[in-house]
Amino acid sequence: MIERAHLHELRERIRRIERPTALVHGVLPFGIAAIDQVLPGGGLALGALQEILGVGGDEEDGALAAAFAAGILGRLGLHRTPETPAPCSLPGASLAGGRPGASPPTGEGRGGGMVLWCLPRPDLYGPGLAAHGLDPARLVLVRASRDAEILWAMEEGLRAPGIAAVVGEVGSLAAVASRRLQLAAERSGITAFLLRRWRVGGQAAHERALPNAAVTRWRIAALPSKSLPGEPGVGRPRWRIELLRCRGSEPACWEVEEADATGHVSLAAALADRPAAPVPAQKFRLAG
Amino acid sequence: MPLADALSFLPSLATAAAEPAEDAAALRRLAEWCSRYSPWTAPDGTDGVRIEITGSAHLWGGEEALAAELMARLDRRHVATRIAIADTLGAAWATAHFAEGKSPIILPPEGCRAALAPLPVEALRLDPAATQGLRRVGLKRVGDLYAMPRAALVRRFGESVARRLDQALDDLPEPLSPLGEAPIRRVRLSFAEPIADPADLLRATERLVADLVPRLAGEGSGARLLDLVFHRVDGRVERIRLGTARPSRDPRHLVALFKERLDTVDPGLGFEDVILAAFAVEPLPPEQIGLPGHPAGPHPIGNEASGIAPLLDRLGNRLGLAAVSWLDPRASYIPERASVRVPVGETLASSVAPAKAGAQGQPAPRPGSLDPRFRGDDETRPPRPIRLFEPPEPVEAFWLLPDDPPFRFTWRRRRHRVTRADGPERIADEWWRPEGSGTGSRESGDAIRDYYRVEDEEGRRFWLFRSGFHVGDYKPRWFVHGVFS
Repeated sequence: MIERAHLHELRERIRRIERPTALVHGVLPFGIAAIDQVLPGGGLALGALQEILGVGGDEEDGALAAAFAAGILGRLGLHRTPETPAPCSLPGASLAGGRPGASPPTGEGRGGGMVLWCLPRPDLYGPGLAAHGLDPARLVLVRASRDAEILWAMEEGLRAPGIAAVVGEVGSLAAVASRRLQLAAERSGITAFLLRRWRVGGQAAHERALPNAAVTRWRIAALPSKSLPGEPGVGRPRWRIELLRCRGSEPACWEVEEADATGHVSLAAALADRPAAPVPAQKFRLAG
Repeated sequence: MPLADALSFLPSLATAAAEPAEDAAALRRLAEWCSRYSPWTAPDGTDGVRIEITGSAHLWGGEEALAAELMARLDRRHVATRIAIADTLGAAWATAHFAEGKSPIILPPEGCRAALAPLPVEALRLDPAATQGLRRVGLKRVGDLYAMPRAALVRRFGESVARRLDQALDDLPEPLSPLGEAPIRRVRLSFAEPIADPADLLRATERLVADLVPRLAGEGSGARLLDLVFHRVDGRVERIRLGTARPSRDPRHLVALFKERLDTVDPGLGFEDVILAAFAVEPLPPEQIGLPGHPAGPHPIGNEASGIAPLLDRLGNRLGLAAVSWLDPRASYIPERASVRVPVGETLASSVAPAKAGAQGQPAPRPGSLDPRFRGDDETRPPRPIRLFEPPEPVEAFWLLPDDPPFRFTWRRRRHRVTRADGPERIADEWWRPEGSGTGSRESGDAIRDYYRVEDEEGRRFWLFRSGFHVGDYKPRWFVHGVFS
């Protein structure tokens, strides 16, 4: 009896050593098969540091990165089960959260808990966040003018109970600081998002090249929208989501459209940019 | 006599320029230092300090001990003093200024009348005209006034005579308005040897907090504004002021908040007194905590918000209490008014709590129930950007027809060519608001905005608006208000 208990404990320990540390706290699947397949564990690693960049003019404003983060945070909750990730089984759960007014997702991936958002300029807009699925009532905004203060606030947030996620908008990030954030996130199981925003191109180029301890590095770019038949004007927004770096996986790139009336986020047809692993084409679903 | 005359009499006279402002400041500092005896201290005139020691004399072992200690400390500082303790302020003033006898003089309770009788009438703090008038009719001592009919005195010399007399004899109250506010709770720690070591300061802080917390717990209240005052041996006073977002009586949390600021005080040669005063307290009922060893059940909403209250305090005390805020929805068409940042400390102070406030003023996040003011009343409302600029940033725009969206605009020195546009959405000022509107604040012609959602050739989507109309030669101005995703 005692030997069996020992054996079980040993097996657990070996399994914990073999499993990549990024998955200690579970994953949050995106609900889009193409993205989930690439990510280790089938989803975004919780209790880890994720980095999100912008492209071109959006590097200064960080609107797309904020939208991406808001979409994830809308489904990120306090109640995490370490081993079994909460699958998003309902079509209503999507990256963009559906149209304003659509019923919020009621599956297990429902978001809850406070989110600490640290930013240098107070330009986050509540109704815009709500449109992406993040209830602004969950937000605590922390405004700090210096990057060091934002990183300090993020670290404080990563140690507090009752926080579901921490978001920080920084320009310069030292590798040591990112390591501290990653360790703090691992210890507490709170997911941290770093949104990189730069004003000066030189600083941007320099900072982009620096390595850091984030588990994943995303880059979101805007694409011309897809026109709706019979409706002039701005159509359905499209984005390019690039996974530049991921611990335990290869880089990848997807083009995604905003959810339509049924709430499905769909993958656009052009997947030509994907390098590496060949995946059979019938696994992707195209927009109706 | 004038200075020139005096110098002619005594050429070696030492002179110094009078500095009334510095003297007044020094008197204030002395009054502040005296607050170690009681929080009710104030400078008195140009050469005195009033201290109300009701209720604090026993902490020093009685009035004589307090007076003796005060005398000794002031002697050490080379301040010549005369100290008097009495039932009323007027009697104490009179005794200190005019009584004969060795200082400190302590009048027995109910002994004002007898003690004041032999003093001259100047002891009543009257103006010189009144005292001259009294002397002229032969009333030279305060005792002479006791027997005089009140009405005659008032008619002849003014009502101030009667008022001062009544104040001195405790027939009329004379409150003391202290320097600074009066604290609600105060605990004090004195040291025989001055302390300067940071570890000692921390331990003193912990002792004081441990002293204060049971008193707050006994009343069922928590502190929201705390002052930690350090008295240096050279008379200077250093203080740390602390505010909390939510009333707190958790000793660890308060000590942690003070600890972060302890290195901002300069001990100089050491601190001899440390005083912790609570200036604002609010009711704080006991909270239900989880049992150790049992997993916490589903968090009741109040506990979830209370779990982050220490975090909010730490953030607020380091970055400023205005830097930490909630996003509050407001029912307004004007975009910058629809979502308002409310500092976390204010939700409790204001009597008009936000609509979603929980039992203690904390916003209660309920997953799945988005406030309808954020969501929009109906699904046909045009989408709102995720980034909104305050104030909107001006752009140079080119358009074909007056009602058209621009086909090209320049923003932040970058040119954007517009490929698609939605709009216009007209937002006018809210005439029903008395204080005027945000849109019309700049010029009278800009009260109406026409918003367009435009997309440029790269795919970035902006929220532009045109402010004002084409009227004659007036060219409307264009702004970028936000960026969509």
